[in-house]
Amino acid sequence: MLKSNPKGNRVPYFMDLCSCVSAQQRLPDIQALETVEAGGQYGFSVPVAYYKLPNGLRVALSPDSTAPTVVTAVYYRIGFRVEPKDRTGFAHLFEHMMFQGSRNLGKMEFIKLVQENGGVLNGSTRFDFTNYFELLPSNKLETALWAEADRMKGLAVTDENLKNQQDVVCNEVKGSVLNQPYGGFPWLWMPQYANENWYNAHNFYGELKDVEAAKLEEVQAFFKTYYAPNNAALVVVGDFDADEAKAMIAKYFGPIPSAELPPLPDLSEPPQQQEKRASRKDRLANRPALAFAYHMPPRNSPEYYAMGLLDQMLVQGDDSLLCQELVKKRGFAGGVSGGINADLGDMFDYSGPMLWTASLIYDTHVKPDQILAAADTVIEGLQSKPVDRELLDRSRTKLRSDLYDSMTQSGGVGRANLLACFALFNDNPGRINTLEGEFLKVTPELIEKTAREFLRKTNRTVLEIEPGAGAPVEEPQ
Amino acid sequence: MTPPSGPAIPADPAAFAAPKETPPPGTAPKPFRLPPTDDFVLPNGMKVTLVSYGSVPKVAVRAYVNAGGVYESASQVWISKLNALLIKEGTAMLSSEQVASRAAGMGGQLDVGAGAEFAAAGGVVLSEFGARFVALLAEVLQRPALPASELARLKADLRRALVVEKSRPGALARERFLKTLFPDHPYGRSYPRESALEGYTVEEVQRFFDDNFTASRTHLYIAGKLDPDLKKSITAAFGGWKRGNERADVPAAPVKSRSLQVIDRPGAEQSTLYLGLPVADPTSPDYVALGVMDALLGGSFASRITSNIREQKGYTYSPFSQIGTRRRLAYWLQGADVTTSVTGPALHEIFHEIDCLRKEAPSAREVKGIQDYLAGLFILRNTVSPDAVIGQLHFVDSQGLDRSFLSSYVHKIMAVTPHEIQRAAEDYIVPSKMTIVVVGDKAKISEQLKPYETAE
Repeated sequence: MLKSNPKGNRVPYFMDLCSCVSAQQRLPDIQALETVEAGGQYGFSVPVAYYKLPNGLRVALSPDSTAPTVVTAVYYRIGFRVEPKDRTGFAHLFEHMMFQGSRNLGKMEFIKLVQENGGVLNGSTRFDFTNYFELLPSNKLETALWAEADRMKGLAVTDENLKNQQDVVCNEVKGSVLNQPYGGFPWLWMPQYANENWYNAHNFYGELKDVEAAKLEEVQAFFKTYYAPNNAALVVVGDFDADEAKAMIAKYFGPIPSAELPPLPDLSEPPQQQEKRASRKDRLANRPALAFAYHMPPRNSPEYYAMGLLDQMLVQGDDSLLCQELVKKRGFAGGVSGGINADLGDMFDYSGPMLWTASLIYDTHVKPDQILAAADTVIEGLQSKPVDRELLDRSRTKLRSDLYDSMTQSGGVGRANLLACFALFNDNPGRINTLEGEFLKVTPELIEKTAREFLRKTNRTVLEIEPGAGAPVEEPQ
Repeated sequence: MTPPSGPAIPADPAAFAAPKETPPPGTAPKPFRLPPTDDFVLPNGMKVTLVSYGSVPKVAVRAYVNAGGVYESASQVWISKLNALLIKEGTAMLSSEQVASRAAGMGGQLDVGAGAEFAAAGGVVLSEFGARFVALLAEVLQRPALPASELARLKADLRRALVVEKSRPGALARERFLKTLFPDHPYGRSYPRESALEGYTVEEVQRFFDDNFTASRTHLYIAGKLDPDLKKSITAAFGGWKRGNERADVPAAPVKSRSLQVIDRPGAEQSTLYLGLPVADPTSPDYVALGVMDALLGGSFASRITSNIREQKGYTYSPFSQIGTRRRLAYWLQGADVTTSVTGPALHEIFHEIDCLRKEAPSAREVKGIQDYLAGLFILRNTVSPDAVIGQLHFVDSQGLDRSFLSSYVHKIMAVTPHEIQRAAEDYIVPSKMTIVVVGDKAKISEQLKPYETAE
């Protein structure tokens, strides 16, 4: 699985299954991190213990006895941004190979093991990490840790397994992009137009010919390079005893040797000086669509947090300014969607250049410039004066509410996602409890400044989808 | 990128010659009890279920109203959806923008939507605003303005959604499948004609609303971290709602006969397969065995059909089977998007797996694996989120089942025998009675589909 919807609140059958920084440290030592009370009586913070194994594996534990279940998640700091240049889609193809066999678990045995122990599993590939996780009854934690350690030790895969997963991945790409109207819009296409640096601008689902050309030795080399404990974070969330978990983790993951990691390539994007416009013909679509995206401020800067709130004001929910203007007032579309790292994650689970995007499907008689002009009036309103207090407060409330959802989403999968990303990207999963405070620091003046600097037209890419299909055939009734 | 040389990691299969380790089995399971519910009925007939659950300060509020598509006439398809959109457009006291901004100020959004049987209205908000959100929901459900001024825009939105939806292969397959199973019944009418949609008036919507949006047709579920005074707030907010007429049954007699239907999509990269037939409904004693059978056959990652057409053959990415339900009705369905050139072989393998299970009882080991999977999944389904908790309760209630269906579920799952699974497949998953829908490039698949034109 490449795509995922982290805000989704579905019961996890995970049947769309992927099937779907160097850190040499000394003593493992649990540091209980200080938790921050926010939101008064109804505030919420989560326990976080963080330490590293001698081999560099980052471990975050967050006990929660709400239900007798446990999430085990392993995140590797290798996403689709950084993959071999002649092998687009390789990071994702590789993710599939992690389900094809390891030392003690043959093909299908990993999947069967989790299933027969009453759990569900999945994996996904994103900009800056690839993740694997299991949600199981809490008494099966040791089983999950053993299995994840087994595949961190090495893959036992064959040419036949690879050919099989090349076929599966090609079907995945066809099913979600090539055989669907608006397939890949805007999440797969927009980064390719808005970004200049290959790492941010290539087709990360993969050209089918690249996916088909991959070799088994490339799979093993990729594993050797990136799938080492010192390039990973292990997170456990749920109903478990931290000391017991710590002992099991030392036992199963401790002996895995670390590897020398290659330096990250230069991922930076040159500052954009001119508005960019692009259009694609979609032979399966019967209505035009439009997306517009702006480069984000650097991660964790004050402006970054301001953009988190601007995102809430502009496009999250039916009270948002773009929804009110483009949908309710102007009637261009039935809805407008978007966000930071939209469709592939959220504002916290990436580390590198990123876009804030909004998109909509509209009717043929409307011109894209009418929509852009209407969107501009909304954005200009935020650029020309400090935002009004009520709107700012509401955006904070929405953000806090979303954050609580992430911390509990899918029985702990959402919390594991935040903890793993903060472990990998910041070496500090305890950040999860300080986010509310960062958003509280944002002033109306900072919102105005950020809107002016980052929501400027010259920082924008506009992508149009031209419909290539006729009207659908109506069946007799 | 040249991979740097790291420490030796055994990486090729030959290095794995040592005997395999056995996975650690874990410890004894912790007891799991369903979260207790507080159920009551208001004097006007509205049912209420409260579930105090979880530690996060959020609360899910969902009103299920018997006001879905099943109450539409043949000339009114999607009027339930138009009604749902109009309900969100404000009340006598609040503008549409005010409804949206108030809900957002509580950390949520007031959603109203209509499905096959129910309209669902509500949202998930911060617990501190639970009572206020209940009041907002009550206002919107009881006194919507249904403003004529917004009708043209909302109809244009529905029309756009309709034509976009009908360009998706999965939607086309599903439409034809349901239409074949439920001829002349609202369940079989997935989409309106554009021209019909165009003609709907505010008066028609108002009539649909008046007939269906009433207290006695509504069940309100609230789950999450609850305010102790919530009960009082609910009674105050909904106590004055008119009782209205009880829900009337709209009986359906689903079709159980073999047909192959091909919808042409020239140039399609994949064929979208939908095949299935009516099976025993949730109130039948066979339903539990059917569920175990489904998980083993095609309804889980390790299932036989998925193992075959995905993990062995690579024909597809995301095949699935499921038991779809309506009130006291169920159908089994297998779906898959397969590469065009292997449309025939994919169908062949699916039917092969069905035949195998119908002919031979699965091994006790395979059955135990599926039972343990479903027992674990049951805990997940009842705990992953407040909305998941609500979903389970709503399913049981909407089928008219006793709540003990949930508390005895794991016990019943574990009691199903291999022979009962085989019999469920034999009795219900009958290829000669299946509807098969294929959406794909007719010129390329017609020949491959020849063997499936007639049964056996």
